[in-house]
Amino acid sequence: MFSSPPFWSNGPSPGNFYNFPNLHPQVQPQDFRQHSQSPVTTSTSLVGIAYDKGVIVAGDLLASYGSLARYTNCPRIVKINNNIILGASGDYADFQYVKDFVEQKVISEECLDDGLSLQPKSLYCWLTRILYNRRSKMNPLWNNFIVAGVENGEPFLGTVDKQGTAYTDRVICTGYGAHIATPLLRDALEKNPQLNLAEAKALIEKCLEVLYYRDARSYPKYQLGIIDAELGVSIEGPLEVPQNWNVAYSIKGY
Amino acid sequence: MSLAVKPHYPDYSNAPIQRSFNPYADNGGSVVAIAGDDFVIIGADTRLSAGFSIYTREQNKLFQLSPTTVLGCSGCWCDTLTLTRILNSRMQMYQQEHNKIMSTEACAQMLSTMLYYKRFFPYYISNVLVGLDNNGKGCVYSYDPIGHCEKATYRAGGSAGALLQPLLDNQIGQKNMLNVKQESVSQEKALSIIKDVFISAAERDIYTGDSIQIKIITKEGIKEEKFELRKD
Amino acid sequence: MFLTRSEYDRGVNTFSPEGRLFQVEYAIEAIKLGSTAIGICTSEGVVLAVEKRITSPLMEPTTIEKIVEVDKHIGCAVSGLMADSRTMIDRARVECQNHWFVYNENMSVESCAQAVSNLAIQFGDSDDGAAMSRPFGVAILFAGIDEKGPQLYHMDPSGTFVQFDAKAIGSGSEGAQQSLQEVYHRSMTLEEATISALTILKQVMEEKLNSSNVEVMTMTPGNLFHMFTKEQVEEALRNVCPVEHPLALNVSKQRV
Repeated sequence: MFSSPPFWSNGPSPGNFYNFPNLHPQVQPQDFRQHSQSPVTTSTSLVGIAYDKGVIVAGDLLASYGSLARYTNCPRIVKINNNIILGASGDYADFQYVKDFVEQKVISEECLDDGLSLQPKSLYCWLTRILYNRRSKMNPLWNNFIVAGVENGEPFLGTVDKQGTAYTDRVICTGYGAHIATPLLRDALEKNPQLNLAEAKALIEKCLEVLYYRDARSYPKYQLGIIDAELGVSIEGPLEVPQNWNVAYSIKGY
Repeated sequence: MSLAVKPHYPDYSNAPIQRSFNPYADNGGSVVAIAGDDFVIIGADTRLSAGFSIYTREQNKLFQLSPTTVLGCSGCWCDTLTLTRILNSRMQMYQQEHNKIMSTEACAQMLSTMLYYKRFFPYYISNVLVGLDNNGKGCVYSYDPIGHCEKATYRAGGSAGALLQPLLDNQIGQKNMLNVKQESVSQEKALSIIKDVFISAAERDIYTGDSIQIKIITKEGIKEEKFELRKD
Repeated sequence: MFLTRSEYDRGVNTFSPEGRLFQVEYAIEAIKLGSTAIGICTSEGVVLAVEKRITSPLMEPTTIEKIVEVDKHIGCAVSGLMADSRTMIDRARVECQNHWFVYNENMSVESCAQAVSNLAIQFGDSDDGAAMSRPFGVAILFAGIDEKGPQLYHMDPSGTFVQFDAKAIGSGSEGAQQSLQEVYHRSMTLEEATISALTILKQVMEEKLNSSNVEVMTMTPGNLFHMFTKEQVEEALRNVCPVEHPLALNVSKQRV
């Protein structure tokens, strides 16, 4: 229901009585046991694209405290095993917690020595269940994960968010990247559906450059996670976004 | 206006603002189903979105539960993923326990009880369940998020549900029409109406678009079709 | 024999070296102390007939209830420890109602028997209190109508349940089963089945058959669970041949 704002702070609205102080419905905590309701140490966008024989995921190395660029060397793209790369944006502590138990799971499976290893679709589904269960307890893991991998020779790219919303696609970006990088990547993929590794890499680097110019919480140092059906897993970096601020001097009037 | 009930303006208030986690997301999507004498057709768009972002343009929202039963879901996607997984295991458990495949009617009732069991933390989904009944007649069941179930012959649900239902009332239900013969809809007409209403929905509803996945259920089996919609 | 038994018949879930569970076998023996119950399944429906032991003329015969309704489409005849049977009937009723609640359809007779069977084998000496401490001393005949038509199932204390065309349980079961085998045929009408059931019951019963010491129930697609009134029982008894069954019966009339 819309009604006009008051004339002055705590004053009467047009056509209304004086707004006596403390008559507002005060927001009261509903539950004394407050879970993590907001992230603390956050990281920004991740960009991911599936090319013809594999997947590339990239993200910068910054972890922020709100607008403060606090930690500048926080890798958040990790190799899980020879089939999977896991990337995360959002709360860095939650990511480290998830990374720890995913790595423990991989070790446990290794111990069985049955020659079987965790597959990307399995990890994607398992993470979806974990994040959904945590959201159902109103105690979410404040992350957006990207699971990239190769399963049966086919590239796999999937994502899970803090609510357990999960989907797979050929292009997935999180955070600001969803608004800035996704259109660039989708457009490129539409023009050339059979993207190769070199083209995909160039595309991702371009996206990171645009993101660095546009996203105030981004950072020029980044990592590239590449998983290829033939070349296997590699995590490249730290790499540097090429910068050119010459144009800044010509902008006047701000 | 009474003094006790004052509108609350966050920008003008000194009260502390509490941020809270919202376990639900509105991921949009629409489902339309039309039943005939010996068939039922269900269609759902394939756009998965949140606000102004399109997550993916290729998300199937139709879930085949048995050879004669299909469920279409739209709303909170994380709840859809969970509900459909539980439903699939319930279908399998029923088959193993009772040595038969669950009928569409039984499935419809089970879905209702499953939704109601989460009455105080609901699955935020608009479900449309379709299938052939024990006599081979097409049927459509639609639900609210807490398990109210209604049997119908045609239904539109999801983000464009309110937009499309009156159109179906007119085109399929022949409501507000004069001098028309009440006759059941043919499969060809139902299919073309589904395509038409989705084209209309994609024009006005930003959460519906990209393409539609259509399933045509007859006693011969299930046929699947894809139909492209506008992608903006 | 006695020695081996005395070693292995204490724990309810302890196998003997020959691979037997004596307590379960003893429970099956307990059925043979119970009153006789007969069920015959025909294409028209199922009939159940049960003997009621009127041990005292001061007893109120109608309070002995050996045939009960589980759901509109399923009825049960029981033999053995009546108190135990209450628990099992209760489970059967709850399962049927729950099935209807969740699936909005009638539970099949087989599924109902399966549900009760699950209860029947939940015995043990654990202290968790969830289970019965000994096997149930009851045999049950399930008569019902489902999508497969009229059906008769028999379940014993081991939880084993099997479908039958005709089955007798209780003290007179051995002789009665023989007679059933001789009289049963596929094209039997329900009326024939009712007469046969009463005739056989009459032969194996110690007391003289009358309308107050027998319970008869029919389960038909039209009327579903129908318990005979006293008048209907009397009417049915008039058709029971007054003479001994023409076939030579080897029936022990001795009370076990």
